[in-house]
Amino acid sequence: MAKKPITQELLPLTPPVFHILLALADEERHGYGIMQDVARQTGGALQLGPGTLYGCLKRMQTAGLVEESEERPDPALDDERRRYYRMTTLGRRIVRAEAQRLAGAVTVAMSRLAGENA
Amino acid sequence: MIPQTPTANPQPLAAGFCRLYSMLLYAYPPEFRREYGGPMEQFVRDRCRDLRRAPGRLKFFRLALHVLADWFRTTVRERAATVWNAGRAPVRHSSVTEWAGTILIYLFATTTLVQAYVIPTGSMEGNLLIGDHILVDRLAYADPGPFGRHILPYRDVKHGDIIAFTFPEDVRQTYVKRVIGVPGDRIRLLHGQVIRNGCRLVEPYTQHIANFHDPYRDDFPVAPDAYTSPRGRDMFEHHVCNGEVVVPPGMLFALGDNRDNSLDSRYWGFVPRVYVVGKPLMVYWSYDAPTADFQEWTIDHVIDVAQHFFTKTRWKRSFLIPRTQQAMEAGDAR
Repeated sequence: MAKKPITQELLPLTPPVFHILLALADEERHGYGIMQDVARQTGGALQLGPGTLYGCLKRMQTAGLVEESEERPDPALDDERRRYYRMTTLGRRIVRAEAQRLAGAVTVAMSRLAGENA
Repeated sequence: MIPQTPTANPQPLAAGFCRLYSMLLYAYPPEFRREYGGPMEQFVRDRCRDLRRAPGRLKFFRLALHVLADWFRTTVRERAATVWNAGRAPVRHSSVTEWAGTILIYLFATTTLVQAYVIPTGSMEGNLLIGDHILVDRLAYADPGPFGRHILPYRDVKHGDIIAFTFPEDVRQTYVKRVIGVPGDRIRLLHGQVIRNGCRLVEPYTQHIANFHDPYRDDFPVAPDAYTSPRGRDMFEHHVCNGEVVVPPGMLFALGDNRDNSLDSRYWGFVPRVYVVGKPLMVYWSYDAPTADFQEWTIDHVIDVAQHFFTKTRWKRSFLIPRTQQAMEAGDAR
């Protein structure tokens, strides 16, 4: 069996994984910060619970999409129980591939549905 | 009367919920809990903190519901993942298997692990109030057999434990009392104070409300009166020796903490060890209503709860844990 490239193997991403990666695209965040950013991205539609969030982070760490950060970006608000995460290079490639896949799907959808609105 | 708002006191509720959540974390696989338990607790604390600034009446319940649903789904998922993925790549599970697993665990939990009861009388007042809805840990005092004994957290009933048990005189009812005597103990009361095996007990958890002396109640065991039940009379006839009740094998002697207003082993005899249902684990809901409302559900009670849910719920008692308390032995009584 021909081995698919790793980027293809992980696609499509589940909505939580996709949005968590997007939340980490521009900066490192801790768990609660990720949840807040995901809620912002989706207009409140996707509220991650603690179990879902850390379950996803665990799987994403295993797959090498994110890693724990040693740095503490915000010492004022810091607490030792807070853990910061950042996206790996692989994670960035994956989320870009997923965005392209979604964009392709959207293009197809738009062209097929274009007649309906007119 | 000052009108009470349901969200007047969110802090103790939030604190109680965080406490509950840290206990619930034990349902996750141990590796997962060790790795992420701390951050997850912090996550829930952060959400509770931010909630205080948010508007809305039911916000806390929505959060609690959301977090509990999340816990429910992800415990099953993480548990399944540790079993199925041992050494393999992550497997995707369909939602059907997830929900089937959840329902199985739920059925197992409600039938064998915990059961819900409501306290109908004030006999344990001071610790448990009328209208406290409690969860009873059914495994705590259940003998798991020769093999299970090494795996399950089991210990036998001992002095000071609060037990829930099937009422021997009417098996449809469940009573909650405190264990005062185990097999072999010699028990009597003097001026309302328990003397066990010749030692006077100092019991910080009890409450005495009567201002008159009742020899039967306070100087037990004296001659049985007309109210004593047949089981009580049997105890007087066969198990009283030198003015003391001797607890026979396989039996327990249990008294209510509200000592002057409690129908307990003094009146209806011993609790058979096999009638013990379990150990009260925590109060999950406390609702202020009279005894009769909790003995039988009537339409009036349902309406009362619907109308006064927020004002008559004793929020501070949510997730309270009734504790085993040892009495101090205060030397020789004679």
